[in-house]
Amino acid sequence: MDHLADVSNLRSSQSQTQISHLALDIGGSLIKLVYFCRYDDSCRDDGDELRSQNDSLCSKSDNSQPVLEGRLHFAKFETSKINDCLDFLRSMKLWLGVNSGSHDGTAPPSDKIFMKATGGGAYKFADLFKEKLGVSLDKEDEMECLVTGANFLLKAVHQEAFTYLDGQKEFVQIDPNDLYPYLLVNIGSGVSMIKVDGDGKFERVSGTSLGGGTFWGLGRLLTKCKNFDELLELSHQGNNRIVDMLVGDIYGGTDYAKIGLSSTTIASSFGKAISDSKELEDYQPEDVSRSLLRMISNNIGQISYLNALRFGLKRIFFAGFFIRGHAYTMDTISVAVNFWSKGEAKAMFLRHEGFLGALGAFMSYEKQCLDGLMVHKMQQKFPISASSAGDNIYCSLNSNSDENGSIECTVYGT
Amino acid sequence: MAGLNGDPILGIDDKIDDLQYNNNDNSNEAIDKEGLLGLGEDCSSYNKNNQGGEKDMAGNPIHRSGSRPQLDLSKAEIQGNSEERDPTILLPNQSDDISHLALDIGGSLIKLVYFSRHEDQSVEDKRKRTVKEKLGITNGNRRSYPVLGGRLHFVKFETSKLNECLDFISSKQLHCGSIGSHSWNSEAPANENAVIKATGGGAYKFADLFKERLGVSIEKEDEMDCLVAGANFLLKAIRHEAFTHMEGHKEFVQIDHNDLFPYLLVNVGSGVSIIKVDGDGKFQRVSGTNVGGGTYWGLGRLLTKCNSFDELLELSQRGDNRTIDMLVGDIYGGMDYSKIGLSASTIASSFGKAISDKKELEDYRPEDISLSLLRMISYNIGQISYLNALRFGLKRIFFGGFFIRGHAYTMDTISFAVQFWSKGEAQAMFLRHEGFLGALGAFMSYQKHGLDDLMVHHLVERFPMGAPYTGGRIHGPPLGDLNEKISWMEKFVQKGTEITAPVPMAPPGTTGLGGFEVPSSRGATLRPDASALNIGVLHLVPTLEVFPLLANPKMYEPNTIDLSDHKELEYWFTVLSEHLPDLVDKAVASEGGTDDAKRRGDAFARAFSAHLARLMEEPAAYGKLGLANLLELREECLREFQFHDAYRSIKQRENEASLAVLPDLLLELDHMDEEARLLTLIEGVLAANIFDWGSRACVDLYHKGTIIEIYRMSRNKMQRPWRVDDFDLFKERMLGSDGKKPKPHKRALLFVDNSGADVVLGMLPLARELLRRGTEVVLVANSLPALNDVTAMELPDIVAEAAKHCDILRRAAEAGGLLVDAMTNTVDGSKGNSSSVPLMVVENGCGSPCIDLRQVSSDLAAAAKCADLVILEGMGRSLHTNFNALFKCEALKLAMVKNQRLAEKLIQGKIYDCVCRYEPAPAS
Repeated sequence: MDHLADVSNLRSSQSQTQISHLALDIGGSLIKLVYFCRYDDSCRDDGDELRSQNDSLCSKSDNSQPVLEGRLHFAKFETSKINDCLDFLRSMKLWLGVNSGSHDGTAPPSDKIFMKATGGGAYKFADLFKEKLGVSLDKEDEMECLVTGANFLLKAVHQEAFTYLDGQKEFVQIDPNDLYPYLLVNIGSGVSMIKVDGDGKFERVSGTSLGGGTFWGLGRLLTKCKNFDELLELSHQGNNRIVDMLVGDIYGGTDYAKIGLSSTTIASSFGKAISDSKELEDYQPEDVSRSLLRMISNNIGQISYLNALRFGLKRIFFAGFFIRGHAYTMDTISVAVNFWSKGEAKAMFLRHEGFLGALGAFMSYEKQCLDGLMVHKMQQKFPISASSAGDNIYCSLNSNSDENGSIECTVYGT
Repeated sequence: MAGLNGDPILGIDDKIDDLQYNNNDNSNEAIDKEGLLGLGEDCSSYNKNNQGGEKDMAGNPIHRSGSRPQLDLSKAEIQGNSEERDPTILLPNQSDDISHLALDIGGSLIKLVYFSRHEDQSVEDKRKRTVKEKLGITNGNRRSYPVLGGRLHFVKFETSKLNECLDFISSKQLHCGSIGSHSWNSEAPANENAVIKATGGGAYKFADLFKERLGVSIEKEDEMDCLVAGANFLLKAIRHEAFTHMEGHKEFVQIDHNDLFPYLLVNVGSGVSIIKVDGDGKFQRVSGTNVGGGTYWGLGRLLTKCNSFDELLELSQRGDNRTIDMLVGDIYGGMDYSKIGLSASTIASSFGKAISDKKELEDYRPEDISLSLLRMISYNIGQISYLNALRFGLKRIFFGGFFIRGHAYTMDTISFAVQFWSKGEAQAMFLRHEGFLGALGAFMSYQKHGLDDLMVHHLVERFPMGAPYTGGRIHGPPLGDLNEKISWMEKFVQKGTEITAPVPMAPPGTTGLGGFEVPSSRGATLRPDASALNIGVLHLVPTLEVFPLLANPKMYEPNTIDLSDHKELEYWFTVLSEHLPDLVDKAVASEGGTDDAKRRGDAFARAFSAHLARLMEEPAAYGKLGLANLLELREECLREFQFHDAYRSIKQRENEASLAVLPDLLLELDHMDEEARLLTLIEGVLAANIFDWGSRACVDLYHKGTIIEIYRMSRNKMQRPWRVDDFDLFKERMLGSDGKKPKPHKRALLFVDNSGADVVLGMLPLARELLRRGTEVVLVANSLPALNDVTAMELPDIVAEAAKHCDILRRAAEAGGLLVDAMTNTVDGSKGNSSSVPLMVVENGCGSPCIDLRQVSSDLAAAAKCADLVILEGMGRSLHTNFNALFKCEALKLAMVKNQRLAEKLIQGKIYDCVCRYEPAPAS
């Protein structure tokens, strides 16, 4: 996934590309951006491979219509540093692409520049965007965007989903025809659990307030870490046994086998911190971070599993910025799901986990805004190595003015 | 319930009503009071004059007069019944005084459950049994009870003060009875190696210490086993155990013990265990979470520097979680996310605002942090519990464990979570004894304790003096005798700061006793334990049974007045507290007015005021509160300070006066025809139930006229139709119509009320009429004194005296074994010679002005078996309780309403209206 550092690279490398179609997901902690950069035709070197042999419609349009090719870029900012984001947008003129008029000549007048956005911040910061950038935020429903984004990724992107257990990452082949129903767990500041039954068919069935915001919020208070990633990094070196009360601590080092609890099972998160003899300063931030991470991951895994069970869902996909590909987080969630389901259910993760909402918002353009443009069919091609978790999704944007115009997304790994 | 002089409630009611009529003229109040209670004062002085004699005769009131020499044996029989002195305690089959103890030693608290038998078990008990057998009522009906009668006590100590706990055990010798006591475990070797059952982590940790200090071994019981056993026992055996708690409102839930399983038990300790319980000993730990009480306290300590769990919990009372939690509104710019049903105030992310760069830990208020933590953890527990209940299709979720400890906000939060996630379909329930599940379970694990067989009607919960102050937690050394108790109380009152319950106020100008300020509204700021439930002492009374003639015991609710209506509550609390000084005077006088009695009276007033204050603040603190409970609490409180019969001399005086005029009344009645006589008898019951509490005029009359004149006058004032008047129906049942004579009743149970005119001139003549018709009559009276109510112990003497002048009563009393010579007859085997149906007396098993028919004596239950008529007399038993009770047989409810408020509420009438409600037997 991209880190903020990537932005500078983007800036230089994209100066000559045309940027269009930017969408935002402004969450409580992070702002996620998805934007499309046009490439010139030289990038279509392996264009033949892109064409779907199964979809006659697409192959036909490929031949007859101009194709905009480029990359879908992903970027994020901390919501508290929204000005950085605004500066970035201003300097990159990313938003200009939205009404660049290159598609069909019916672009809205410049005083009505708008941008798709989702997340709570789309409401909260609407005025700010108007004032600072002169852009109106076109608000898309958060859940819809999440689901749209997830559906897109799961259907269109090869090797998007994977399991992670005991440090082993394993990609899962998802049959797009047998995708639904599934449980989508989006771990942002808080956690939403959504039962997805199809495109646009979903229900938020549960959630929990113990999410990424809790990890980072409590973590900040307890460790003085300066940012989320630093806190996450700390947890790598920590030992939760210092802080957590384990079953073995209660039962004199033995398992409570009768009810299937091993001595290393956490009986009470932070339960050892009740000791009179130690204060906050006496604990290593690493250990605290580790305990916190386990507490929250474990809890999310458990509640998710219980909800999957409730609706008889086979698949649970975890996404959201909290995970951000962090191995131990994924491991803990997987262990929780595995433990509570007695091995029957598996946690799955998405490579583009943090950008579901932004992607979904991006996808919403085609419905109404770029008139004549809509996703007709997502075509998957997996021409290159699937191994790496690419920072960017390369796309070709096939724009045309005819009534059946479509966006053909072809996905490359990098 | 009403009595000639004694009934304080009614007296005060009347006073209040009088005051209203007098435009609240305060100067009249004193006069009114004097007028009303004039007799009482007479009696007090009478008592003082007879102090010496009274002392000797304590507990033996009727005998004292010395004018009834023939009563000796009869009295001995009753007196010998120690069950009547404290019927909630004693059991026939035990002779050893033993104690049992079980412990749950947790990380922060040690919970003790111990059992004690009452000491004065004696041979008298056997004598009573013999007598009862002769009586024939209960012959063959007496079951053998496998369970010990006694008391279960619940106490807790902080684990850090383990030594106090050890001292307590040692001083009460609780560790000595544990094993080798033949009553409990006859197979146990009688060796020195005593064993105490214990559970909880500390059972391991402190085993050596127990061995060293007390010489006992700790036998460890599985924690889950204990939790489940404890919960099952509580849910099956205690009526008001489970309750819901929503938005500060607590409501007890009636659990049908036949429909208890399966349920989900969520024990919130350091961690959380979620247990599916399918039956006794059948359970499975289906889930749990590591985010529990330890997390709250652990994280809370790190974040707030609080020194104790309770301190942290208290902080949360004043917190505002919005400064730390990220709410939906924070994300959505103050708007709801209504599309998915999330309001702006829903917590989106616990501690989510703490990610702000601008603030460090020191910049947040500890109060806010504590509240955020509490909400985070409570919500999470509620959610995971609900999801598990859903998974197994369980209807009920019970929450227990030290994390909850009766904390209102914690319970509210958990309830909210369950409600929220279940969309109102599931409700969180809590247990009053939640902290004691493990200890109780450990106690249950003793073999052959017989507790498993206990039913809900076998248990009576009482709240001793300390309850309002400590809520069951022991502070300091154990209290030995009453003297220590009183000292403790006095010390407590002096050191007002230590008192957790409101200190009873002493308004200027009173004796300092019983002044009690009724809070006009509930305080805005609750103490953290304000909603903590008090846990009383559980009295195990295996002789109690459900009254067999109740038509629908499951639906039966004794209380007519629901005290959950706060206005009603305030009214009764005012009545009770205003009457308190007078009651104390009477009580002190009944004990000879000595300094010791005064000191006890003072302590009683303090203790009872504290109970009232506690209940005013938290009406559900002792379980569901009805008027009957409140009135019984007062009687129990009197007994606790060894005022066994505050109205003793008043009762006796009234009995004597009434008995003196009874022959005249009987003569008058015998001159009437059957129809006129029946009306006169019912009028007489109603009149006798009222006149002593009538208007000033009646009291004046009392001073001038004779008791029979007053009685007749009062009777003559009875203008039919009464406010509730089923007399014609009853008459038809008794006398028939169109010349057809209906079959007389086989057996009538007459629940009598007051001593004096009420029983002598009202109920006895009615009993006589029934006897004359060939109906067996059982007079049902209190086991223990309550106000001036006549007791089962006193009745035989009264009947014997009445029988002197009435052949019908004499022969019936003989047949019923109430008279000495009758006893001799039956012993001689000449019982069959008696031509009369019997007149009998049974105790009802309670010591309250009201009666809860779910818990009556086994004697009464046995006597009820062939009864086809129940007559309830007096306000306490037929209006305050049982007004709406339905019976399997015919029922007659007779009372005079001597309370304006009750009259309006119950019968849309006014004070002094009469109720004669006749209910035929339901068609079956």
